[in-house]
Amino acid sequence: MGGKVTCTLGEVKNRADFLIFWGGNPADCHPLHFSRYSLLPKGRYVPKGRKGRTMVLVDVRETPSVRFSDIFLQVRPGKDFEVITTLRALVKNQPVNRALVEETGLSLEQLQDLVDRMKNCRFGVIFFGMGLSMTRGKHMNSAGVLALAAELNAYTKFVSMPMRGHGNVTGADVVMRYSTGFPFGVNLSRGYPRFNPGEFSTVDLLVRGDNDATLVLGADPGATMPQPAIDHLTRTPTIVLDPKVTHTSLLSRVHFTTATTGISAPGTAYRMDEIPIPLKPILESPYPTDEEVMRLIYEKILGKPAWNPSAYEEVPCA
Amino acid sequence: MLRISGGRVYDPANDINGEVRDVCISNGRIVPEVKGEGIRTIDATGMVVFPGGVDVHTHVAGGALTFARAMTPENHRTAAKFIHSPELRAGIGGTTPTTFATGYLYAGLGYTTVNEAAVPVLSARHTHEELRDTPIVDKSTCVLMANNELLLDLLEQDETERAKDVLAWLIWAAKGYGVKAVNPGGVTAWKFGKDAKILTEPVEGYSKVTPAKIIGDMAAMVDELGLPHPMHLHCNNLGAPGNFNTTLETMKVLEGHRTHMAHLQFHAYGGDDWHNLRSESTRIAEYFNSQPNLTCDAGAVLFGDAVTITADGPWQHLLYQLTGRKWGNLDVENETGCGIVPYTYKGSNLVNAVQWAVGLELLLLIDDPWKISLTTDHPNGACFWRYPEIIHMLMNADFRREQLNKLPEKALSRVVLADLDREYTLSEIAVLTSAGPARALGMPRKGHLGPGADADVAIYHDDPDAEKMFGHPRYVIKAGQVIVEEGDIRKMVDGREFIMRPSYDPGVEEYLRPLFEQYYTMSFDNYPVEPERVEGADIRECG
Repeated sequence: MGGKVTCTLGEVKNRADFLIFWGGNPADCHPLHFSRYSLLPKGRYVPKGRKGRTMVLVDVRETPSVRFSDIFLQVRPGKDFEVITTLRALVKNQPVNRALVEETGLSLEQLQDLVDRMKNCRFGVIFFGMGLSMTRGKHMNSAGVLALAAELNAYTKFVSMPMRGHGNVTGADVVMRYSTGFPFGVNLSRGYPRFNPGEFSTVDLLVRGDNDATLVLGADPGATMPQPAIDHLTRTPTIVLDPKVTHTSLLSRVHFTTATTGISAPGTAYRMDEIPIPLKPILESPYPTDEEVMRLIYEKILGKPAWNPSAYEEVPCA
Repeated sequence: MLRISGGRVYDPANDINGEVRDVCISNGRIVPEVKGEGIRTIDATGMVVFPGGVDVHTHVAGGALTFARAMTPENHRTAAKFIHSPELRAGIGGTTPTTFATGYLYAGLGYTTVNEAAVPVLSARHTHEELRDTPIVDKSTCVLMANNELLLDLLEQDETERAKDVLAWLIWAAKGYGVKAVNPGGVTAWKFGKDAKILTEPVEGYSKVTPAKIIGDMAAMVDELGLPHPMHLHCNNLGAPGNFNTTLETMKVLEGHRTHMAHLQFHAYGGDDWHNLRSESTRIAEYFNSQPNLTCDAGAVLFGDAVTITADGPWQHLLYQLTGRKWGNLDVENETGCGIVPYTYKGSNLVNAVQWAVGLELLLLIDDPWKISLTTDHPNGACFWRYPEIIHMLMNADFRREQLNKLPEKALSRVVLADLDREYTLSEIAVLTSAGPARALGMPRKGHLGPGADADVAIYHDDPDAEKMFGHPRYVIKAGQVIVEEGDIRKMVDGREFIMRPSYDPGVEEYLRPLFEQYYTMSFDNYPVEPERVEGADIRECG
């Protein structure tokens, strides 16, 4: 188990006749997703657009996305992993326990129907959101969905994709991967990259109080992180680069107001399918860009003596 | 200014074979002589002087590679670490080295030019970002074309003239250097869950387009455009038992056109199932030797951990089913796809043993070293930093036999390696690792040490153990700058990127725009990579 079977969004537009949205509410949170990429557009092999596609929504509650769906499956909160595991078993025609299945809030018939539809579609896709990846089971839920999509390829073409958001989080992830080998949770304190989510990820460092300063770029941890993490941001020097006043900027020692990328600063943003899109500014800003501020900070740091001078000593030539 | 004095120079492109002579460098180029003050002299007495290495086929940057990096943190844990210093950036080596580490590792082998062999146009912008962060080496890219549906649609309608314009436009849009064809028709078929295994059968979704038509037409277009590097072809049926027939048929289709056949090792198998897979390197090499229009690279396999990364989606699905290991797949709209499966080649595995032998056999049976380059299809067959292990086996037949005799006895009857006595000379190694690939790529300033060439030089200790010798150059010079001294990387420089601008009818944009708006999810104006975003761009025009 592991890996990811996925595609770019244009493949969904051109080919997908069966869509599952799981643990997300794209109608509110990804407002262009339905119309531009997934549900509504006419594609090369889906000439009828919406009429050529079936949409299933899996969630713990009714959201505005329900009215877009053909089938809504309401899972009992915290039971996603059980549903995924049951689906994987049914795909492989393994016996399942009806009573245990029903604890998920869904009947065996509903799940068998879903499996039949998945196996018989031409090109299926599962989009999964934070309602799946950040609730009980967390990364195990994501791994389960990724495995389900991979295993379905023994029967038909099937892919999955996380519904990512929060600005350019995918871009940050990509740059970390090519420069350090790891997507997040990277520790460079030994001079080379180490990776251990749960130990080196931001929230864990802050809650334990391991770091003695924090630079926040394009994020607002003060609004979303647990209180002990926020307390540590308040206690230690926190520097924020943000075009706006945020929860984090209010508790920071230094707030650089920067130009808004994509409106008054150029750059590149990565879509959730990791396709880079150039950002072209339409307005001028009196504020510097994030890049300009970071370069100035970097130059100042270069001028400082190394914290560990022996590591930087020139090796004498023979 | 720099003078390398007293070394034995191997410069096969200029017929210099181990002569003791000086190599002079000024302004980043090789010059006949340097005079005056401020000349640094490197005493290379007793050492061997080579033109900097050129890798004709490798995967070092791009969406697929970065996908693989994220998929294999367990490999990074045990990989070599690069600790940052005022000169060097931090990084990780191993099966899929990080960008900075990639530059250091190549330079640490004496390689100064690499060709990233698989770039989708849609994510080319990202590939160039990674290449900018890959220091020291000069770079070029091959753009994935043979499953581009806009092109295949034109071939279906026999509009080859317009197809040629589209192809030229796409190279410039991606800021690429050459044309790559991967499993022609098979990757587009994979989007329906199918493959293209028979050259003469129509591709899924088309009625006239066959893999053979794509191969023939595309090779012709590349020739007509006058691109310096011929079509770079990954044949259909990669890795499959009995695929040597497909490879032979492909070479017949290509008669009269230049083509570079990538990782030929993966395309030279006999038998009809995994249990009776055998080497067909003799038949492949025999036919290949008779074809003056073709070059190839080995795609050799070494035992150990690897990560298979290819645009060949259906093959990767099969490999996932065979191994039960992780599987990454990324279909790229209208253009291509990619698949990733971590893989461990084991000497005890019969199939892997045959693969290991086939790579070496091709290197020994293809008699003209100018026609085959040393590659492992990094990171597919092995990592590029293991090239010296292969060089050692090529130069020493006794050592090679020792390795061969470690394989299971059953494997020995399926390969011909035991019968091959050829040993490469130093001059032939210089062709294999530098002069040959530079010529195949059409880079006149690479792969030699004649006046006017880029001053990319590798200086090795002469050592009977070729693995030690080529694994640890004493000095490496890139564009006249001494990068490696006494075996250490001492200096960081940025490399250039070679980009081709083939001529096309500008009206082709008006043809493409409406199709693009219909089939793609990015706006047409955002699609081409802006030339100013490619750092160190070295643009040539052709056609």
